[in-house]
Amino acid sequence: MASGKAVDAVYKVKIPAAAAKLRELYYMAHYIHSHTAHFYALAAPDFVVGPDAPPAERNILGLVDKVGIEIGSEVIRQREISQLIQQMVGGRATHPVWNLPGGVTRPLAKEDREKIRGFVPGLIAFGEFGLKLFHDLVLKNKAYLDLILGDGYELVTNYMGLVDAKNLVTFYDGTVRVVDPDGAEIDRYAAHEYLDHVAEHVEPYTYLKFPYLKKRGWQGFKEGSGTSIYQAAPLARCNVASGMATPKAQEAYEKMYTALGRKPAHKLMAMHWARLIELLYAAERLGELVADDEILDPNVRVIPSATPSEGVGIVEAPRGTLTHHYWTDSKGIVTKANLIVGTTNNNAPISMAVTKAAKKFITKGGEIREGLLNRVEMAFRIYDPCFSCATHSLPGRMPLTVEVKDASGTTLNVISR
Amino acid sequence: MNMIVLGLGNTILRDDGVGIYVARALRERVGCLASVQEAELAGLDLIERLNGYDRAIIIDAIQLEDEEPGTVFKMRPDDIRITARLASVHDIDLVTALELGRRLRFKMPEDVVIFAVQAEDTRTLGEGCTEAVERVIGPLADEISAVLSGAPHRPISISLADRRKRRA
Repeated sequence: MASGKAVDAVYKVKIPAAAAKLRELYYMAHYIHSHTAHFYALAAPDFVVGPDAPPAERNILGLVDKVGIEIGSEVIRQREISQLIQQMVGGRATHPVWNLPGGVTRPLAKEDREKIRGFVPGLIAFGEFGLKLFHDLVLKNKAYLDLILGDGYELVTNYMGLVDAKNLVTFYDGTVRVVDPDGAEIDRYAAHEYLDHVAEHVEPYTYLKFPYLKKRGWQGFKEGSGTSIYQAAPLARCNVASGMATPKAQEAYEKMYTALGRKPAHKLMAMHWARLIELLYAAERLGELVADDEILDPNVRVIPSATPSEGVGIVEAPRGTLTHHYWTDSKGIVTKANLIVGTTNNNAPISMAVTKAAKKFITKGGEIREGLLNRVEMAFRIYDPCFSCATHSLPGRMPLTVEVKDASGTTLNVISR
Repeated sequence: MNMIVLGLGNTILRDDGVGIYVARALRERVGCLASVQEAELAGLDLIERLNGYDRAIIIDAIQLEDEEPGTVFKMRPDDIRITARLASVHDIDLVTALELGRRLRFKMPEDVVIFAVQAEDTRTLGEGCTEAVERVIGPLADEISAVLSGAPHRPISISLADRRKRRA
């Protein structure tokens, strides 16, 4: 989606309203698909099976054993439906070749629209179910609630996210808003202005950069008031916005902040809560879009006539603000590109969250168990189940090693995945 | 027996699309012996795709260290925790997907074979494979076709055990 918007900008073309709605429709289905996998397959086992459970049980199979076959089947079913919607709208569920400069390749067929409308009640119910599951199995469990509200998973930074004209959460289009740890707006920019607002710090030990707020300058891995570090992910989006644009998601949003006691919320484990609110929003928004008669308008593309040159596109990817910036020659061949991928925004926060979790859970003289490894990994997993998209590295496993050293630097223990 | 041949990959990332290209080559060869399908899927999405079949053959790209591009490995699900798509930490791996499907009472294939083609380039944007990988598409389609029909054939694929012996 970000690349589609970037090439629109490269060709200086405004796409038809129906094309924008189709892209957003596809994107809502993608969000449902992505958030479902992130929560149910990769994050929920930590809470439902338990953070200290053996790895052999702390997975989606253990989750199904706990919550039952019917719920597990529903997860697979609704995820498949969201894939099917992507395929109906964009031709392919993954890697669609459908976004073109000026719009999309084809309008939505009337019969496909009716099929998608039939899926909406089930998708909304699935979104509500996720929040109920989180409430019943996580929030009602004191140990898990303590995990969410405790100081082991807390990080005080600025927050970034796309908002609409009413400052409500939006995924496909809007302006980027940044608030400070107290919720005051400190920055706001349109896609093409991003280089004036975001810069990237480099450390010698990694080729993944550390984005920060340019106006504040790089101040190191410091949290708190005045920091230049920001987070961009589900909880950040909720923190940045004044609310959700659909009724059921708005209700859930208000409940979350009432329970957390403050906004912006700095409790990192609430990220999963925010993710489930967004899943419900995506289902509701998908229903709104497919109910709109303009979605069937056959005018879905404007043929570009300007000479291509340079353009930026920004969307909210499931794991953070996604920026694509392309420079092209006069034939539209890309000569240079810059991407700030969702998780890349969170590189510094992830590093800091992992450090804080390690300091909290590794205590002097304490036994170092596999559960500890998982508690540190949980600080990572709230942002992203893996780093593959951000680093373009596909090792096929979680390459996680915890080395415990004493004050003199002597290695006391090493635990590897 | 109800069989599926599933080619996995992304056809705009050079050799990453080899599974899809082999599936396309197979369509003309296997007729009604199996349902030949293409997908850019992994993890949870494989459950629905494999549901209802007794036997599955999956074709995908792989990148092992120190291997010649175009080498074809024949594996079982337990072997494939080393491939990127079928063992992604971004989703669940194939072994878990099969087990999850069974627990959720989907009919998962009991017999699953994976043909993994050593890729040379999976990062350059472009259609079509590199020369070494392109060369094995036809022969691998012939081998899978023979496997499906039970016809005698000389396999081009090697097992991981054979690989270990060769490297010892």
